[in-house]
Amino acid sequence: LSEYGGGTAGRLKALDAFLLYVLLTGALQFGYCLGVGTFPFNSFLSGFISAVGSFILGVCLRIQINPQNKGEFQGISPERAFADFLFANTILHLVVINFVG
Amino acid sequence: GPRLCLEAALSFLLLLACAQALVPSHRLDARDLARLRAVLERPFTDVRAAFYSIVGLSSLGVKVADEKAACKFIKSHVDSSSVESLFYAAQAMQVLSGCEVTISNETRELLLAAVSEDSSVTQIFHAVGALSGFGLPLASQEALSALTARLSKEESVLATIQALETASHLSQQADLSSIVEEIEDLVARLDDLGGVYLQFEEGIETTALFVAAAYKLSDHVGTEPAIKEDQVIQLMNAIFSKKNFETLSEAFSIARAAGALSQNRFHLPVIIVPDGPAAVSHHQPLLRLQVTNVMSQLLTQVSVKLDQAKSVSSKATVLQQLPFTLSGDFFELNFMNVKPASGYYDFSISVDGDKRFIANKVELKVKVSTEVGITNVDLSTVDKDQSIAPKTTRVAYPAKAKGSFTADSHQNFALSFQLIDVNSGAELIPHQTFVRLHNQKTGQEVVFVAEPDSKNVYKFELDTSERKTEFDSASGTYTLYLIIGDATLENPILWNVADVVITFPEEDAPSTVQSKNLFVPKPEIQHLFREPEKRPPTVVSNTFTALVLSPLLLLLILWIKIGANISNFSFAPSTIVFHLGHAAMLGLMYVYWTQLNMFQTLKYLAILGGITFLAGNRMLAQKAVKR
Repeated sequence: LSEYGGGTAGRLKALDAFLLYVLLTGALQFGYCLGVGTFPFNSFLSGFISAVGSFILGVCLRIQINPQNKGEFQGISPERAFADFLFANTILHLVVINFVG
Repeated sequence: GPRLCLEAALSFLLLLACAQALVPSHRLDARDLARLRAVLERPFTDVRAAFYSIVGLSSLGVKVADEKAACKFIKSHVDSSSVESLFYAAQAMQVLSGCEVTISNETRELLLAAVSEDSSVTQIFHAVGALSGFGLPLASQEALSALTARLSKEESVLATIQALETASHLSQQADLSSIVEEIEDLVARLDDLGGVYLQFEEGIETTALFVAAAYKLSDHVGTEPAIKEDQVIQLMNAIFSKKNFETLSEAFSIARAAGALSQNRFHLPVIIVPDGPAAVSHHQPLLRLQVTNVMSQLLTQVSVKLDQAKSVSSKATVLQQLPFTLSGDFFELNFMNVKPASGYYDFSISVDGDKRFIANKVELKVKVSTEVGITNVDLSTVDKDQSIAPKTTRVAYPAKAKGSFTADSHQNFALSFQLIDVNSGAELIPHQTFVRLHNQKTGQEVVFVAEPDSKNVYKFELDTSERKTEFDSASGTYTLYLIIGDATLENPILWNVADVVITFPEEDAPSTVQSKNLFVPKPEIQHLFREPEKRPPTVVSNTFTALVLSPLLLLLILWIKIGANISNFSFAPSTIVFHLGHAAMLGLMYVYWTQLNMFQTLKYLAILGGITFLAGNRMLAQKAVKR
C-alpha cells in the first residue's frame, strides 16, 4: 500500500478514489436489490449500469492518462483522453436517465 | 422442350378464357323500365327537361302522352338567342310527329356562326344538332374541321362523347374516321371494376351517354365500333346496375343507352331468363326460358339450342345438341324425357338467329327434383349378449309401430331402412338423414345421423352405455322420429316411427332432470386486476438512499487527503464557459429526468454540448500548451 502511495501520481490517486466511490455505490445498489427486492427493476438496472459504466470509463481514463503507459497511446494526449471520458459519460448518463423512470 | 411447355400453357390459358365468358348480370327488367318511364314522364319544367323526356322516351320506344301539348310547350319556351335552347328544341321536335317550326334568318345565322373553331365542343355540338334537327343546310366539312381542331384542345371525356354525337349529324361524305377513332381511345379510358363492370370515373351517366353516342356514330358510318364483346357486357352491367334515377339527365342517358343496345347494326346483347327457378321434376318436366334484349323485350325470331347438359356430381353428359321449342313467349325443353337422376345439371345453352348477338352462350344450373320413398323399415331390439335372437318389427311409412321398444343395459335398439327414388326406383343418398329422439317428459331431444352401409342400407343402433352422455342419463319414454331431407327432394319427411323406452343404469341418473337451457345468465366472472408489486416499506428505502450517499462522503474525504485541489484554476473565459456548460448539461440531465422527453433533451444537449465542446477544446488545448 505504501508503494502505491509513493509511486502513483496525485492525479491518478484522485481518480482511484473516484473509482472506489463508484465501486462502493454499485455494490450497495446490488446489495439492496438482493436484499429488499427488484421492485422498480428498471431503476435498479439504470443505477447499476451507471455505476458499472462509470467505473469502466474511469478505468479507461486512468490507463490512458498513466505516464507509465505513454508508449502505448502515442496519439492520445491526456487532455484528449479526458475529453473522451466526458463525452462517453454524457452518452452513458443520457441513456441512464432515460431508463431510470 | 421449354417452347412446347409455353405453347401448352398458352393454349390452356386460352381455353380457360373461353370457358369463362362473361355473362350479363344486370338488365332493365319490367320494374326498372316502369321506374325509368315514371321519371321521364314528369311534366316539363323547361326546354331541356322537355328534350330529355321526349328523346329519352323515344329511345325506349314510347311516345309522349300528348304530342301536341309538348310541341306547344317547346315552341313557347324556346329561347331563340341561346344555341343550347335551340338544340333541345330542335332535337325534341324532330322526334314529335307533326311538330314544325319556321326558323328565322337571324336564328340560322346564330347557329351557323356557332360552328367555328372559337366555340367550345359543346357549343359546336349544340349548333350542329340544332341545324340538323331543324333540317337546315350545314357545311359538314367545315363543321368537321372545326370539331377536330377544337377536340385536340379539349381532352375531357364528355367533350369527346359530344364530338361523337356531332359527327353522327354530319354527312357521310365527310371523312369522319378521325372522330370514329376516338371511340377506341375512349374505351381505353374506361375503368375495369373487378372484371364485371366497365365505366368512366365520371360516372354511369357519362358511360351511358358514351354507349349511345358510339353506337349512333357507328350506325351512321357503317363501321363496327371498336368495343369487344366482353367490354359491351361489362358496360351493360355498369349502366343497368343503377336502379334509382334521381335526375332527369341520368334517366335520359340510361334510356338512350338501352335504346342503343337494343337497336344497332352491330352488337345486340341477349339475355336468357329462366321462368321461375330453373328446376324440373315429374310434375313440371319442362325447362322454360325467355330470350330478351336489354330492355326486356322478347326476342322470338331466334333459335335456342341446348349444346350439352352435364351432371354436376358425375360429370357425365346426359344430353347433347337438342333444340328448344317455342311455345308462346317461352322456349321449352322437356328434360325429364331422358329420365335424369335427381341432382344438379350444368346446361350450356346458345341462342342464334342474328350475327349481331353477343352474350348468347350461357351456362345455367338446373335442378332435377324427385320424391323419396322409405322402404324396408325394420325396428329391432338386439340382445347385447347375443343370447336371444333379435326381435324385428317391420313398419310401413307413414304408420307408427304398435307397442314400444326397449333399450337398456341388456338390449340395444336398432333401426334399418332404405331410401329410393319413387319415380325411378334407384337408391338415394340424401343430405339429411336424422334420427331424432324426443323425451316426452322433459322435452329433451337428441339427434343422431343414420349412415348408409356399402349396400346403401341405412342403419342406426342405440347402445345405452355408449350414448348416456348425450342423453344426460335421463331414462324415460322417447318418441323416435325419422327426418329425411335434401335440396332435390320435393317431399321431405318427418315421421314418428315408434316409441322407445330407454333405461339408463340408476347410479348415473341425475337427481333432478335439468333442461339444458342455454340462455340463462352465466356465473359472473370477477376480474382480477393486476396487483401492484410489493414495495418495501418507506423506512427501508430512505435508509438505503442515505446509505448510498455515504460513499460520496468517503470520496470527498479521500480527495482532501490526497490533496486534490482547484488551485490551478485559471479564470480564462473558455474555462468558465466550459465549466458552466458542463454544469448546465448535468442540470439538463436532472430536468430530463423530471420533465422532458428524449427529443427535447437531445435538442438542448446538442446546443449545450456544442458550446461545452468548443470551450473545452480551447481549454484543454491551452492546458496542453502549458504543460
